[in-house]
Amino acid sequence: MSENLERRRFLKCLGASSLIIAPLGCSSVEEEGESDQPHYTMVFDQNKCTGCGECKLACTTANNLPEGKSRLLLEQQSGGVVGEVCPHCGKTDCDCQRKYVRVSCQQCKNAPCVTVCPTGAAHRDEKTGIVTMDASKCAGCKYCIGACPYDARFINKETDVADNCDFCLNSKLSKGELPACVQACRYDALIFGDLNDPNSYVSKLLRVKDAVRMKPGFGTEPSLRYIPIVKLGV
Amino acid sequence: MDGSIEFTMGLSQGIAWPWPIAVYLFFAGISGGALSVALFIRFYKQQTENTAFLKAASLMSLVTISLGMLCLVLDLTNPLFFWRILVFYNLNSVMSIGVIALSAYIPLVALVTLFALEDEIRKFPALRFLLPVIAKLRGVRAPSEKVVLLLALSVCAYTGFLISALIRFPIINTSVLPALFVASGLSAGAAAAKMLAVGLFKEELHSSDMKVLHGIEWPIMAAEILFIFMLAMSLFTGNAGMQSAFTAFHSGTWASVFWIGIIGIGFVGPLLLNFATSKAFSHSAKALYMSGMCAVVGMMCLRLFIIYAGQNHGI
Repeated sequence: MSENLERRRFLKCLGASSLIIAPLGCSSVEEEGESDQPHYTMVFDQNKCTGCGECKLACTTANNLPEGKSRLLLEQQSGGVVGEVCPHCGKTDCDCQRKYVRVSCQQCKNAPCVTVCPTGAAHRDEKTGIVTMDASKCAGCKYCIGACPYDARFINKETDVADNCDFCLNSKLSKGELPACVQACRYDALIFGDLNDPNSYVSKLLRVKDAVRMKPGFGTEPSLRYIPIVKLGV
Repeated sequence: MDGSIEFTMGLSQGIAWPWPIAVYLFFAGISGGALSVALFIRFYKQQTENTAFLKAASLMSLVTISLGMLCLVLDLTNPLFFWRILVFYNLNSVMSIGVIALSAYIPLVALVTLFALEDEIRKFPALRFLLPVIAKLRGVRAPSEKVVLLLALSVCAYTGFLISALIRFPIINTSVLPALFVASGLSAGAAAAKMLAVGLFKEELHSSDMKVLHGIEWPIMAAEILFIFMLAMSLFTGNAGMQSAFTAFHSGTWASVFWIGIIGIGFVGPLLLNFATSKAFSHSAKALYMSGMCAVVGMMCLRLFIIYAGQNHGI
């Protein structure tokens, strides 16, 4: 009899504790997006980029960043600019082709910054699946900066919180516009769209063009694609 | 590394986690290590009285974890944002789990320290108001000591898990790091508490507690050396990124910190002090303080090496 009661009490406790423990498993971060969600993708075409830097300026203005700061950088990889040394051959006067590459948040599908963020400030936007920041939650611990395999995050000195390129989610996309850098690019080196929509220009482009992802070995599955300059001999 | 396209610049400009984080890892390791060793001895020898070593270890543990928290808060871009870490949680994040562990650990360490220092508190009139609190909570002493032992070990290990989640840095992103941090926390924590026990609580140099401590120190140190060797070998035999990170062990400023600080002061120092000197000296208080300081300095160098050499050698 008493054994029975014990068991009943045990089962009761089990039920009650599962009610208490189950919600603990629900964290403030949703990792898996819904299937009907768009998959926003940006393509950087190295063959078209001239390194003019208009994208950087547009980014600063659109996102109200401190002067001289933008959420993207252009790294010059080779080719001489008057008075500067070519990063590839080291000469001031060379015949190397001028090459630039966009450095910015890679919008990983499997984003380490979202996983490590202790407060859920670095999160995935519910509607668009874009990795963005909730500045009101960020504690400034810089865990996301260390965890990002691309070193693509930084502290915004004006707000004291971490920042990243979120395809202008709040400044442009929400108004139905393209990201500021894409709008500003005069050479069509940046293409933006929804990869889940088979009729979008990015989908069509990526179907026919060879594009690569940065540092695929980390397994973060970036949404930024790069079309590199490939020269097949001369 | 051989991709058709790659960028090498970054937006963060510099090291994400500078020296205050290394100091925090150091303090958290000492805190967890000292308390674990003291409680191990307490349970192993089934002590019921407040031994000098328990007093020293719990006080050391409370002070170091508080200083560690201070480092952590001051390293935030804006220390006033600290409350956000306590209010918002993400259970996928190692840091968030650590916050939960620490917010249970710190009050429990304070409680355990209160119990251990009851006699000392009685001596100071200003602290007498704590005596009724101790009397009221006496019933939870045994369970809280058991829980805090578990948490102390978790805190030591957590500091390793916390940084090993940074996948960009081969020296940091290794699975042996939590084990290494537990071992070095235990040895430095025990050394620090031992010095405090002799210096402040008048523990005899050759009491039975000290004999147990001397007995467990060498195996822990051997484990530590093994873990460091494992870390270095996994980099040496690893892929290109890991091999380039291995250069941290033999060139640059951090290589000197490794060889002089960790190997020289941390390991060779105590070994020489104990085995290469006369028995009269190696059994003296001077030798105890010197080898204790060696262990603590070696541990601090280890944390600095991992944080700086690690972040300087990213992929």
